[in-house]
Amino acid sequence: MPVKPLNAASRGLFERYEVGEFYDEMFSAPGVPRPHYAKLFQTMAGLQLEQFDERRKIADLSFLLQGITFTVYSDGAGAERLFPFDLIPRIIPYHEWERVERGLAQRVTALNLFLQDVYGPQKILADKRVPRSLIYSCKHFRREMVGLEVPRGIYAHICGIDLIRDSKTGDYLVLEDNVRTPSGVSYVLENRLIMTRTLPEAFQAYGVLPVNHYPTELCRILRSLSPRGGGAAEAVLLTPGIYNSAYFEHSFLAQQMGIELVEGRDLIVDDTVVYMKTIHGLRRVDVIYRRVDDDFLDALVFRSDSLMGVPGLMGAYRAGNVALANAVGNGVADDKAVYAYVPEFIRYYLGEEPILGSVDTYLCGRQKDLGYVLEHLPELVVKAVGESGGYGMLIGPASDKKTVEEFRQKILAEPRNYIAQPLVALSRVPSYDATLDKVGGRHVDLRPYCLFDGDAVTVVPGGLTRVALREGSVVVNSSQGGGSKDTWVLREEGLREED
Amino acid sequence: MLSRIADSLFWLARYMERAEDTARILDVNYHMLLEESEKFYRLRWDPLLVMAGEEPRFRTLYEEANAHTVFEFLAFRQDNPNSIVQCIAKARENARTIRDRLSREMWEDINGMYHAVNGFDPRQEIPGGPHRFCDVIKFGSHRFHGVADATLPHDEGWQFLRLGCFLERAEMTTRLVDVQYQYLLEAPQPVGQPDNHQWMAVLKSVGAYEAYHRKYYSQIQPEQVAEMLILHPQHPRSIKFSMNEVQAGLRALSGTQPGSYSNEAERITGKVLEGLRYDKIEDIFHRGLHTYLTELLGASLKIGENIARSYFYYGVSA
Repeated sequence: MPVKPLNAASRGLFERYEVGEFYDEMFSAPGVPRPHYAKLFQTMAGLQLEQFDERRKIADLSFLLQGITFTVYSDGAGAERLFPFDLIPRIIPYHEWERVERGLAQRVTALNLFLQDVYGPQKILADKRVPRSLIYSCKHFRREMVGLEVPRGIYAHICGIDLIRDSKTGDYLVLEDNVRTPSGVSYVLENRLIMTRTLPEAFQAYGVLPVNHYPTELCRILRSLSPRGGGAAEAVLLTPGIYNSAYFEHSFLAQQMGIELVEGRDLIVDDTVVYMKTIHGLRRVDVIYRRVDDDFLDALVFRSDSLMGVPGLMGAYRAGNVALANAVGNGVADDKAVYAYVPEFIRYYLGEEPILGSVDTYLCGRQKDLGYVLEHLPELVVKAVGESGGYGMLIGPASDKKTVEEFRQKILAEPRNYIAQPLVALSRVPSYDATLDKVGGRHVDLRPYCLFDGDAVTVVPGGLTRVALREGSVVVNSSQGGGSKDTWVLREEGLREED
Repeated sequence: MLSRIADSLFWLARYMERAEDTARILDVNYHMLLEESEKFYRLRWDPLLVMAGEEPRFRTLYEEANAHTVFEFLAFRQDNPNSIVQCIAKARENARTIRDRLSREMWEDINGMYHAVNGFDPRQEIPGGPHRFCDVIKFGSHRFHGVADATLPHDEGWQFLRLGCFLERAEMTTRLVDVQYQYLLEAPQPVGQPDNHQWMAVLKSVGAYEAYHRKYYSQIQPEQVAEMLILHPQHPRSIKFSMNEVQAGLRALSGTQPGSYSNEAERITGKVLEGLRYDKIEDIFHRGLHTYLTELLGASLKIGENIARSYFYYGVSA
């Protein structure tokens, strides 16, 4: 086949790439890739922008045809949008990853021990290592869970721990814990699949650790939770339904695990046992991987206007007839104020020093912190403690005076509800910017997915890299111009070749 | 299998079939009518609307039934719940709620068809006639069945697809024969010229034109067309064939043996088939074709209701 002549104006992918003042994960200096990126640089630098653009369109079409879209309801018609996928992968060498993995395992274990304790004997409160008032004032602390024995003592089976890299040192820091119903893992699996189809040549020089064992491992853990004896373990995935923005993920995981995808209306509780309604009558359900928030799970216990949940579910849970993953009440562990105490959990429960650092956090509920925060508000990032997904946030340096003052009033009205952190300059990875039609350095974070089976923590190598595709932006959420990248953790042997 | 999933599979197939049937009727009649003289135009667009069961709605939206308005209404109008684009959107919506139960190929195919259909611009298509659009629908529907048969396990879920498809088809063919018969026999005939064309169109719209000639070797006779569409045992769009499929699907689900029934849907299907198996076309005409077909339509409706009652809905029992 004749090679398409390139027009004179076409450019190589990394021509005129600016490394900038932030930690650039790919380049150590202009035109000089870091060792683990060298081969990728060779492969991709040979691509002209228009060739790259063709591949990009193929990838986009593939996402569209698979219906991997989220719905935006702003215009009433329910427009379907793609979660932008950036074709330049992010690469993590094994020696870096190995440390991250150990750090995550340590953190997930400690978070589980904390949840066990706080809904059980509450030793950490009795020992005054965490203020009782802080825990009891958490929006997501569930009194209903105190004294309830959860199957095999596991609370956080599935965790998504958000990491960022310090822009000066490149160190991995924990930004946030997500131990309720973290989403996004389906993108990790789909991104990899699309990547191998669209840019197969990029993989050839590397040994990349696979990610697709996640559903199998999750299924194994879910089935192991079954309270019913005799090997019976009917697991289901409970979704709020097709209008939920993560619906694709729900159906994807159910399909990959071979379990039923159910909505609240498919389930019924009779005499503290959960059943699903099948064409041949009721069938018992043992384990529910629920992607419905606590508040909506059971209208008899939580919000009475919820139609998404299953009335009586908490009764069945309390009776020990059904397992829920994740457990109810986990929000107390990923509360943004409690975040400041996680290093303390690690020391208290495990007698170890935290492997992964965290971001300095000021609790507005503490008098001395509050003073500092109010004084330095324009420099800080302020977050509401019970929120997630980038809601209820102030990015001081990026906000005008009026917004800052509004937040000041909010903080003063409800100090316990806010924390503040210095703005961490996120590391950058080269990404294609469709608006500017060029590759530029864009800020990224990383959400690895961790599974806990009661004994060990399994972490999917890599995780979801979210990238703020708008120039200069640090907001990686899909609703605000965020996209994602395939994330490669290199095999050790692959790395040795490099050195 | 969850009742909700069975319900969605059933409707997925029904909407896909409805889209295909509408596309077939629209395509064939449109092109046939273009050959007719102006005089008969207005009169003959009406049956299409009646067949689709949407004549009253059409009247609220348009003043006149003509090539443009009927095409737009049946194919593209979002406010016609049975327009082709609406059927495809609903088929896809049903598929989306159960995509974990479909094969990946099947979902991607339905989703791709949905995007393709939405890619048509009515303003461009309407002047050019419906052939291109209808072909996309017909072949999309064929591919749907092909991909389903080749990639889904032929388990209970597959039986619900079969039920949805053939119940819809039986209803559509029933309406088609009924409406065409009334209009064609009542319409004023041009003197000295037997109106074969419209009967040809009827046959073509169910893809039975060639098969008719192989069976009857003759000029097209209305009674024989009716016989073919109602009683032909092998033609996949005849009422008898469709009802046989419905019965086979119902029995596969419940495990009922021939000669008995285990629910109301099976009882009514059996009763309908009794007639279709042993009646001759003369018997049917003797009783009155319209009466016969009206009864058939009523029976299909009841079969649908009772499938839902037996398999989809749960009364409150907690």
